[in-house]
Amino acid sequence: MSNYKLYYFNGRGRAEVTRLIFAQAGQKFEDIRWEHSEWPQHKAETPLGQMPVLEVDGTKLPQSLSIARFVAKKFNLAGRDNLEQAKVDSVIDTNADLLQKFVTVSFEKDEQKKQQALETFQQEDLPKQLQNLETLLTNYGQTGPYFLGANLTWADLMFLDMVEKVQDLVKTQNFLDKYPKLKRNHDEVQKQPKIAAYLKSRPQTPF
Amino acid sequence: MRYERNEWPSYKSEMPLGQIPVLKVDGVKLPQSMAIARFLAKRFGLWGKDDLQQANVDTVVDTIVNLMNKFSPIYAEQDESKKKAEMAKFFPNELPKHVRNLDTLVKLYSDGGLFFVGNHLTCCDLEVYNILEYLLQIDENVLYSYSWLHKNREEVEKQPKIASYLKNRPARRSTTC
Repeated sequence: MSNYKLYYFNGRGRAEVTRLIFAQAGQKFEDIRWEHSEWPQHKAETPLGQMPVLEVDGTKLPQSLSIARFVAKKFNLAGRDNLEQAKVDSVIDTNADLLQKFVTVSFEKDEQKKQQALETFQQEDLPKQLQNLETLLTNYGQTGPYFLGANLTWADLMFLDMVEKVQDLVKTQNFLDKYPKLKRNHDEVQKQPKIAAYLKSRPQTPF
Repeated sequence: MRYERNEWPSYKSEMPLGQIPVLKVDGVKLPQSMAIARFLAKRFGLWGKDDLQQANVDTVVDTIVNLMNKFSPIYAEQDESKKKAEMAKFFPNELPKHVRNLDTLVKLYSDGGLFFVGNHLTCCDLEVYNILEYLLQIDENVLYSYSWLHKNREEVEKQPKIASYLKNRPARRSTTC
């Protein structure tokens, strides 16, 4: 039986997708959260001076998506064969494309540039990636509701995480209205008992 | 299948996300370059021999992709003077930490061998080879003090099927990675 320790800041950020996977898997793990002020003294303990890091069986794994994929596979949430896993990966990568744009806007310090970047994000990047995700959900998920049809995978959990991040940024939830399959997916995933319980009990953080 | 830029618009709508590369396999059109690469690597035993090795391969890939995400927009910049200015900042300010991260992962995963993970060639050796090639063409000293990364490159190039492919592939003319 493996022992899992997940190290991150006290927030959702790049660790939340892995926390959601653990929740859906019903797997206990040590959810270690460092405040920003504590981080400098722990930085050198991490392989690349970055978080999240997953410590498992004496090994420290960096890189958020590698961590998430490793945990998803362990608990059969990555797809049942190579082709399903590739479909899941292509949904993850599409979410990651959106995440990259999200990060650029979120971390922009100049207020004016940030406003411009936010507008570009809402007018161009967000609709483009949501359409891409709706396409993949249609192509792979058939009658859905999950990206792989009847089987929930970490692709659905990453999408849930992304929707929350976008909501935090654009301060509204209505961006899913034009994408009926994505909206249904989002509703269904949140209703899953272990996910619903996790969302209710997790620490509430600004990011 | 290689499309010239002027051909691409007529094929764009055939692709799931209006993007390439796409791999057509078992009746499915698979988008997203890394999803494609991982799929093929797994199929052909180039992804690592167990869960942990596979995670380590993914970590190396993610690390080189982080580098590519910073480099690619600069490389694709059409405005020549803007491109020159961005390159002049990228090489001394941004690139070193990515190369250092790769070197750190080598020390953690390579087990004293000449490949990134598990003493055998995996897709992360190929992806690192591929991305660094763009950088080395601009500045041949990019790997200056990282002798292992040099040796890894040489080892990849020596693999018979890779050597043959590098010799025979079409000459690259694109302006994107």
